[in-house]
Amino acid sequence: MSGSTPNTPMEFWYNLPYESRQNVYNWMLNLVLAIGLVIVLFPIYWMLATSFIPPTELFSVPNPLVPTNVTLESYTAVLDTDVLLWYRNTVIFAGGVVTLTTVAATLGGYGLARLDIPYKKTFARVILFGYMFPPILLSIPMFIFWRQIGIINSLPGVILAQTATTLPFSLWLMWQFFQTVPYSYEESSRVIGSSRFQAFYEIALPLAKPGMIAVAIFSFAIAWGAYTIPSILLTNSSNWVLTLGLYSFTQAESVLWGQIMAASTLLVLPTFFFVYYLQKYILRGFQATRI
Amino acid sequence: MSIRESLVSGRLYGYRRGLFESLSKRWVFVALTVVPALAVFVFVNLFPMMWAFAAAFFEVGAFQPTWEWTGLENFRLVLNDSRFWDSLRLSIVFAVGSVTLQVIAGTALALLLNRSFSFKRVVRAIALLPYIVPTAVLSFVALWMGNARYGIINQLLVQVGLIQEPLAWYGSLDLAMPSVIVTSSWKFTIFVTIIVLARLQSIPPSIYEAATVSGASKLDRFVDITLPNLKGVLFIVVLLRGVWMFNKYDIIYILTNGGPQNQTMIASIYAYRTAFSDFNLGRAAAVSTLLFMLLIGAAIVYFHYFEPSQEVRVE
Repeated sequence: MSGSTPNTPMEFWYNLPYESRQNVYNWMLNLVLAIGLVIVLFPIYWMLATSFIPPTELFSVPNPLVPTNVTLESYTAVLDTDVLLWYRNTVIFAGGVVTLTTVAATLGGYGLARLDIPYKKTFARVILFGYMFPPILLSIPMFIFWRQIGIINSLPGVILAQTATTLPFSLWLMWQFFQTVPYSYEESSRVIGSSRFQAFYEIALPLAKPGMIAVAIFSFAIAWGAYTIPSILLTNSSNWVLTLGLYSFTQAESVLWGQIMAASTLLVLPTFFFVYYLQKYILRGFQATRI
Repeated sequence: MSIRESLVSGRLYGYRRGLFESLSKRWVFVALTVVPALAVFVFVNLFPMMWAFAAAFFEVGAFQPTWEWTGLENFRLVLNDSRFWDSLRLSIVFAVGSVTLQVIAGTALALLLNRSFSFKRVVRAIALLPYIVPTAVLSFVALWMGNARYGIINQLLVQVGLIQEPLAWYGSLDLAMPSVIVTSSWKFTIFVTIIVLARLQSIPPSIYEAATVSGASKLDRFVDITLPNLKGVLFIVVLLRGVWMFNKYDIIYILTNGGPQNQTMIASIYAYRTAFSDFNLGRAAAVSTLLFMLLIGAAIVYFHYFEPSQEVRVE
């Protein structure tokens, strides 16, 4: 092969030095990755772009890829509606779910890791089964039961209901985390005179912090965008979260796309700031659970 | 762990010292910590489920306060309803289609992200974005982008010349299901990516180095090291995502609401309609119960292959 002049493209290719071939491979893969990123980003970009286009211009075809007349019309129109109320509800709702999930999962995980009870394995399976349980199957029974006992259409109720979807996995994750903390640490602190609660609070809890952060982010990601359970349990629009509120911009004959995109942007924006943490902790969290 | 083992390892703190009192005290504190989680589980998972099982045997209207015993009538009606079986079939089509797409695209993306390239942190953060975009937002953006008259997708495809005239992506009989599959995959591909990426990162680089030294090509290393390491994780991902996509509700509800002409009416939409359009909660409970039984089957398979009490690795 060496020394001869290449006649075919294949020969030419294999006559190239190893490094150049690797470089070409790498750039091809980078190109594929770039195309993937465009697919990931374009819907988000188009949401932003649409929210800044004057609503009247939305129905002129073709639409320019970069908006020419940037305006805040859609945003001012959206702020005239109940969006801020729904936003507040979303914050309360997500905050409630995150708090309830993290506290219950941390306490419960600690308890499970320290208890010597039979059938713990079976219990773990029952818990994890809840993780597989889809919200729609849960929400219809919940609607029937809660209507019966009369706590339908309240924010605390829907917080509790949504927690059913975030708690199983979180509880299991915290359990796994506490199992990696040897009980002897707490035992030694008991020997030098701290109370049981102190041993938990001062020794076990700090060591489980990465797990707690993973749980908080995981439950936040679910609660902030939750739709199914709130849509079935919240019937009164003053109790809606913003994901439900988006529907109010669709009317019988026309859909207010500009306003929907503006409200969507408001909803999505804060979550962008969590992305860096998401990357680090979600990967770490999943790694720890070894799924 | 048996009592004897506990004695040897000293995990039962009080026992070794013969202090039964302190044992029971510890037990009380530890048991109390489990109570909040247990309460949520019982009140929000267990009770409603039992209620639904019970309601499946009754005639329960949305506006009537009393339940009327009907025995197996609800199940008979559901099982004799051809729309129920159609919806099951569509659920399977939707689940298989979207999981296939997600697993292929998700694994590819994870492999691409696991290499070394510039701006790695930023690129990874961008790739994770769909995970946090709420499904409702995604659905509305997709509806807008796929709009038959004004949608950017039609506009771009016509300009490039791939299609002659705008298509109703979510509104035509043939296109609705594929469109819904692709749209849902945009978001949930990232789930596969995250899990596969986590697994990829836990493969020790030394294995690859050793293989390279002994002359293995890129392809050899992929087939002999990467794939076997991913096999287990991919199995779990397919099963989990399969169950979740099978029961998906919100994205289809907003995109097509089961239409056009019930072409995308998957089982969860059927259950919803039975409850809130037909106002027949008893029958909806029967549908839930039937789907729940299917889910148990999946769960048994899941736990057969996945051991939850495995040791955990923490960095």
